[in-house]
Formats: sequence, structure tokens, C-alpha cells
Amino acid sequence: MADRRRINGPVGQTNPPIYDTPQEKRIAKRPGDNAVRKIFLKTGVTPSASGSAYLEIDDPFAIRPSGTNLKLTCTVHGPRALPRSAPFSPHIILSTHVKYAPFATRQRRGYLRDSSERDLGVHLETALRGAIIADRWPKSGVDIIVTIIEGDQNRDSPDYDRDEGWDMMNVLSGCITVASAAIADAGIDCVDTVAGGVAALAAQDEKSQPSIVLDPDVASYHKIFAACCVAYLPTRDEVTNVWFKGQLPGADAMLYNKMVERSLVACRNANRVLIQSLSETINPGQNVS
Amino acid sequence: MASATTQQHLLLSPAELAYLHSSLSLTPPVRPDGRTATQFRPLTAETGVLPAANGSARVCFADGTEAVVGVKAEVEKRKVLPLSKGHEQIRESDGDDAVAGENDWVEITVEIPGYRDDDSSTVFLATMLSEALLADGEFTKKLWINRRFHWKLYIDQIILISPPLSYPLPLLSLTTHLALLSTRLPRLKSEADEDPMFDDDWDASRFIYPRQSSDTTSATVGSRPPVTLLVMAVGDNIIFDPSKEELAVADSALAVSVGERNAPVDEASETMDVDGEPQAGRQLRLLSVRTIDPPSRLTAPGVPNAVNAAAWGQGGPVAKDPGARAAEIDDVEGVWKAPRGGTKVAILGAMVQKVLEKGGIAEEVLDGLDAVDLG
Repeated sequence: MADRRRINGPVGQTNPPIYDTPQEKRIAKRPGDNAVRKIFLKTGVTPSASGSAYLEIDDPFAIRPSGTNLKLTCTVHGPRALPRSAPFSPHIILSTHVKYAPFATRQRRGYLRDSSERDLGVHLETALRGAIIADRWPKSGVDIIVTIIEGDQNRDSPDYDRDEGWDMMNVLSGCITVASAAIADAGIDCVDTVAGGVAALAAQDEKSQPSIVLDPDVASYHKIFAACCVAYLPTRDEVTNVWFKGQLPGADAMLYNKMVERSLVACRNANRVLIQSLSETINPGQNVS
Repeated sequence: MASATTQQHLLLSPAELAYLHSSLSLTPPVRPDGRTATQFRPLTAETGVLPAANGSARVCFADGTEAVVGVKAEVEKRKVLPLSKGHEQIRESDGDDAVAGENDWVEITVEIPGYRDDDSSTVFLATMLSEALLADGEFTKKLWINRRFHWKLYIDQIILISPPLSYPLPLLSLTTHLALLSTRLPRLKSEADEDPMFDDDWDASRFIYPRQSSDTTSATVGSRPPVTLLVMAVGDNIIFDPSKEELAVADSALAVSVGERNAPVDEASETMDVDGEPQAGRQLRLLSVRTIDPPSRLTAPGVPNAVNAAAWGQGGPVAKDPGARAAEIDDVEGVWKAPRGGTKVAILGAMVQKVLEKGGIAEEVLDGLDAVDLG
């Protein structure tokens, strides 16, 4: 489906400068398998929206060339009345849009949402719908729009044609956290603040045994075998969305359960940041620890 | 949105929903059609229905929902990126074991009448099915022809009833499974990196998933395409293959994709020692798990008598406010309320465990699919 309404970039691909002899994938060092990268979260960044938030997950070593950053912004419009033509709804109608900016990933994204973006949107909707108390707003709708300014991709990887989509897990967990902050900023009632977290089964280099790591950035691992993204409500101890994919060595569900458990740790970390950022909004100037 | 396929114009009153929910949370659950918790709906299946496709299958549920899947294969030249020149050299030094596929060699589309083809719910279904197929990276290896060419597989799925009478995921998954099992690719006659030339005798063509009986020595014997099962939980009960009415009262729903891959011989013998029972059952692998947004979140709530003006008659306004607050927060017996919040981790784990366990549902489904004649 061609986009005829806008002036698009060049149709053909442009080639980045390359080395004569391709280098092997450089594996970046990271502090530890159980470390979660630092999260920056700020609400109320878009004045025209009823709620908004900005999230950034920063590369711990900013100087290295192969950094992976995640930058997301989310705006919430609503709750507002549904149009007259819409059928009656006893609940708030949630519509989520996740869109990569055209420059967010190595491969340029068009202006129309492609299938992976729609897929992320459905995941995000499932994660949020469990958290929002939907029956307090009959006959109304809310739009949640997440824009990915920088996707969590390895800029340095030589095999850039082989994109296995593991970065989508990190993007989804960021989307969930940022959307949750923006919903709280818009003042929509929720049962709890939902936060996303990722755990993965990854091998550091070719020979090492795969182990379960938190918050996997693609640049730090030789190969990721499986990954699991969870949306979690900490005070209720409930999960609203699970997305697991990959191959596990064993046949039983034990390793899977372990991965879900580990990703809950990442969720709790993200939730702490979320709570702190929200309480800073309420009491500006006061340093809440 | 996802709710579009799951909601499907359900016409059940809050009282009916409450009744259904309480009967499904009994032990054992009482389902409206009298099935046990793990029983599937009867279905008829046939393969090889489309003569123009490389593989095809048709599955009908007893309620009349029907899906047709056609698999078409095309030869495609591999993308040559400026970087891959170096890769070729590496591969040559590695030898021929560098057979590797890429995920864009498989394209899955889902068509559901009444929904736009770019609707999020159909996209969600298609990505879920392709995710399971591509999860272990083994499938795309089968599409490798040589270093310059590969097969591109188009898997097109069409649902024939509009709108579908239940959440179409299990139907699509079973049909795709059978279609892939019956898919045949022509035998390659050319050698090495020549332009591919194929045997035009269709009888000489090879199945992409080889039969168990034909050749027992090969390492990939017994490999099967994945199946995706829909599981839902009501209270502590775990219920398989829910119908539309049952899904409308689900506390949570999961799509679990399971593949079967018999490991290479040495690994298999290792597990034999551990288990002590060789060749018992299948080797199942978990490929993907996704939460499905249960349509129960969109149902209208019932009104308890405490806050219903028609039911109190003379009740004063003093009783009104605390009653309203209780109705917001508390569960009143027999009054339907859409589920709020998420699911406990233990229940989600139990749902996956129940699919994977030995002699469990996935094995039963795969056994049932084995019985289908593949023409």
C-alpha cells in the first residue's frame, strides 16, 4: 500500500558506509546480567494533551559506538465523548497507536503503521485494559499514542539484514511503562500503575551457556534464544499481559516460569521509577526517595 | 482493535453472563455444551483441497465455521546486500553447514470477512501464527535452495463464515498445521549454486515436513509444524478450546504455541537416561505465549439490588451512596461484573503447564492431527 498523500523519502535503499572486511559482532560489556538499565521518566511533557510522558532508557556506556537507546513519548487524549454515530458502550473505549518514527530504527519506517507496529498496539491495549477501571466512563473514548523516537537497536551490528525482532520486546515494555505514566498524568482511574519488564535467555558469547538476564539490550549478547515481556500490577500482584517467544532447551514449563518470574523483577524496577516520577509531579521540589 | 474479533456482537445479558461464569467456576466446570474442561469441539479436516497450491487444508467445526489455508511457494533470489560479500567468504570457509533462513521468507496473511485486511486483530492473528512458526529458526532452513536462491512461502488463510462464530485462532492454527504438513516442494535437479532447476514430476516432490515412516535415520524426523491452542481461566478452572459464550466470561485467555521436535540422536539418548522411558510420548517445546484480551472486559455489568432504584422501592437516599460504593468495589453473588485487573502469575503458569505436560492437551491434539489423511 503506497502512501500517496505525503512526500516520501527515496524509494530505493541507501547504503551505509561499510568496512572492506566485515568485523565480527562486537559484544558490548554490561554491568551484570541482573542489572536493569537506568530509566528516565517524566510526565506532562506535551501541554496540549490531557496526559503525556517521556521515557528514555539510556545506554550505560554512552561513549561506545554500539549504543542502544530507547526513547519513547506517549500522549493521552481523553477521556472524551464518543461521536454520536458510535454505538453505546458501557465502558471507556481504548484505542492504542504505537508508531515508530521514520528514523527510529536502522531500516526506515514509513508513515503508515506496518504489521509489527499494529501488533505492538494490540499488546499495549491488552496490557492497559486490565489496569484501567473502564466502567467509570461509559460512552467515552480515550486515545493513547506512543511514538518511538529511538528503537532499541544495535547500531553497530554488521549483520543488519538479519533482524530477529528481539528489540520489540524492550520497546513493548517501555511502551507499557510510558503509557501507564501518561494515563496517570491524564487522571484516568486505574487499579494500579502497570509497568513492563523483559527477561531473556541469552548467551554472552559463542561458547558460554545461555542464562536468564534482565532487560536484554541486543548489543550485549551474542545470541538471544528466548525473551519474555510482562506487564505487571505490583500492588495486586497480577499480570495483565504476557508475551513470550523463542526456543527453550527443555521440554517442561520450568524455565518459562523462571523467565516470567525474572521479568517481574524488571517490572518492579520500572514501577519504582514510575511511582517516583509521579510523586515528583504531585509535589514538585520535594525530593521523594 | 483486538476486541473486534473477540467481541463478535455477543448478545448475553448480565444475568446470563453471571450464570455462565458461576457454572464454569464449579469443580469440575459445567460447560454449556456439556464438554469436559479439556475436551475439544468435534471437527472435520481434509488436506490437498486446492490443486493449484503446494499444500492446502480445510477444517470445519461442527458449528459451521470453516477455514481454508493454501500454501504457495515461489523461488526468489536472495537479497544481496553490500555487506553480504564478506559473509559469502566466511560461509565458504565454513563449508556447507551455513544453511540459514531468514524470517521474511515466510509470509502469512489472514482474511476474515467483515474485517479490513489491515485491521489490528487480523494482523495480531497473523503475527501470532508466524511467530510460532519461526520461533525455533528451523523452519526457514527448509526453504534454503542454495546460496543465491530460496523459496518464499506464502501462507494464506481464509475464514469462510462471516463473522466467525468463535475466536478463530485455534481453527486457523490447526488448518495451517495440516496445510504445512501436506506442503510439497518440487525436487531440485540442479546442483550447488546454479540457477535452480526442478524435477517436473510432482510424484518426486518432497514434503517440507518429511514423514516419519519414509526415513527414520534423518535427524529432523518427526519435526512438526507448531499448533497454537487457546486456553482460558475462570476462577481456578482452566478450560480449553472455549466457545464464544465461554470466552465472554473468561477471567483471562492465553494463546500457547507448542512445537514438536525430536532432538538429534545423542541428545535424545541423554533424555532417555533421565526419563527412564524411551520413546514415550512426544518432545514438546514451548514456542510462544501471548495474552489474548478477553472480551469479558467489554461486557456490560449487572446492577445489584442494593443500588437498583426499581428494586428498592422505598429505600431512602441515605442507603444509596454506600450501596453504590459497594457495588463498585465488591462482588455481589449472582451479579455480573466485568473482570478488573490482571491474572495471578500462578494461574498463567498453570495454564502453560497444563498444555505442555506429558499426556496433556497438546499431545492429544497432535495425536488427533496425526490421524488426518495427508493425501
